[in-house]
Amino acid sequence: MIGASYLSEWVKLKRRTLLLSTFLGLAAAAALFVVLIFSNAPAHGSGGGLPSLQQLARPNGLVFGLTRATFLLGVVAFGTAAAQTASEYSLGTLRQLLVRQPRRVTLLTGKMLAVVTFMVLATAFAAIVAFLIANVMAQSRGVSTRAWFTGAGFGDLLGALGNIELAVIGYSILGLVVGQFLRSAVAAVIVGFAWLLVIEQFILTRIVPSAAPWLPGISLSTIAGGGNPDFGISYSHGLIVAVIYIAAAIAAASLTFARRDVTA
Amino acid sequence: MTVTQVTRPTGQPPSSSLAVSTDGLTKRFGDRTVVDGVGLAIPRGSVCGFVGPNGAGKTTTIRMLLGLIRPTSGGGSILGGSLTDPASYLHKVGALIEAPAFYPQLSGRDNLKALARLGRIPAAAAGPALERTGMTARAGDKYRSYSLGMKQRLGIAAALLPSPELLILDEPANGLDPAGIVEMRGLIRSFADDGITVLVSSHLISEIEQVCDHVVMIRGGRLVHQGPVADLAARQRPDIVVAPEHAADLAQLTKVLQFSGLPTVAGPADGTVVVAAAGVGAADLNRLATRHGITLRQISERTHSLEDLFFQLTGTESALTPGQEMGAIK
Repeated sequence: MIGASYLSEWVKLKRRTLLLSTFLGLAAAAALFVVLIFSNAPAHGSGGGLPSLQQLARPNGLVFGLTRATFLLGVVAFGTAAAQTASEYSLGTLRQLLVRQPRRVTLLTGKMLAVVTFMVLATAFAAIVAFLIANVMAQSRGVSTRAWFTGAGFGDLLGALGNIELAVIGYSILGLVVGQFLRSAVAAVIVGFAWLLVIEQFILTRIVPSAAPWLPGISLSTIAGGGNPDFGISYSHGLIVAVIYIAAAIAAASLTFARRDVTA
Repeated sequence: MTVTQVTRPTGQPPSSSLAVSTDGLTKRFGDRTVVDGVGLAIPRGSVCGFVGPNGAGKTTTIRMLLGLIRPTSGGGSILGGSLTDPASYLHKVGALIEAPAFYPQLSGRDNLKALARLGRIPAAAAGPALERTGMTARAGDKYRSYSLGMKQRLGIAAALLPSPELLILDEPANGLDPAGIVEMRGLIRSFADDGITVLVSSHLISEIEQVCDHVVMIRGGRLVHQGPVADLAARQRPDIVVAPEHAADLAQLTKVLQFSGLPTVAGPADGTVVVAAAGVGAADLNRLATRHGITLRQISERTHSLEDLFFQLTGTESALTPGQEMGAIK
């Protein structure tokens, strides 16, 4: 049942325009961060929060660019996912879907799994592009890449990629839920971006810094970065808070979706 | 509005022979009652017209039948499955609800593919459905490039995907040109020929009249009438339109008819008098007029349309000409 809903969603997700815009968009964003980091990295120490060329030559040097790009990847994942659920209401397609699959939670679960898979694949593609660009940039800045291709380097790479994917999954689920509640793709994207980019990043964390460890967006950033030294948040704390938010969001979305009258 | 009568079909068939059966189906949105105690009895294999003005509660009723809206009270069964468990019967139901809704960036075929996968229907079912609705040639084009008529036909194709036993079509003729309406009528007839029960809603009674053998009338959320169209028509005696040879005799003719105790005599309008009296024949009227020295140049029967009957049953007056929307009445 969930499998049918999952496969059905993929018919929509794999259309060329969405596929190209999401995969290439995320890859371009990740590549841009890599280029900026390598281009502006000082030879020693750190400048403007950027890693030095020396740091980039370490085993974890390969993941710097992608980790920095996670927030942008998350925002794109949030917007894409929100549009997938909200558009079912605005297009009126939800009623067609529910006639073919009246078990609403099954429908929602399959849809969520499909969108999350899509975003995970897009992020993986962005990571591959970012790694290729990082190798090119390392050559141009004279950064040794020998440590990247060691056991420790691969370990750091996989760990970082896993954390980034976890964060992207979190952003995607929050996007799906917000889209489902607001039933408008535009409203969902505006609300989501305003929360993540403005309210959390520039207002709450500055006015009430002690609230930072309890915010969903900051928690997801903490997961992606393997911890958050700026706010002194540990990886495990970020993970627990994010999981609570996501579980609560999924529960609320399932409950309302199962009970809400479909008049669209 | 006064509901003049609520009728159930006489000798109502047992529930097993009903495709749709509801009892006291009610939906309230806040203080507003949109559907009020509707009890449907739609026989299997019938083409049932579901008629009423815009805002009568047709779409809300249909959405309750399809599990999209939860009834406030009441219940029922569809194809033997309980209304409280839509999954028990929706795999045997095809539906076009209001305007067709598909993904504009996908082709018609891919839209059907997505729905087929969701309903665990073999992808091959899309071919015959497209063929039957005449959409095969354009199935590969993006949905957004379709005309309104093509969108409606794709909507019907989607409804046909599960090889339904019950087809629910909500205003399928909306936005279609006259040729498209005729085509839609033909399609609906062909479904009936295949033994599919069809519930087709419309605010255009004249459309329903031409294709249905059963009718459900609703107004203000309440059931006004339901039963075979033939029964309804048989209950109605046609009016008799008479016209004197000389226009000067019109007033005299009207007076004679009234003095003869005929229950209803419409006022002279275009040189004719309309007698809406049951049990009075053309010969009686001719004799009556001749006895008073009036020669008639016209004696003709005027049968009631379903639209006229609707207004009679709801106690409202029809100010419409055939084909006009009931929704125009406020």
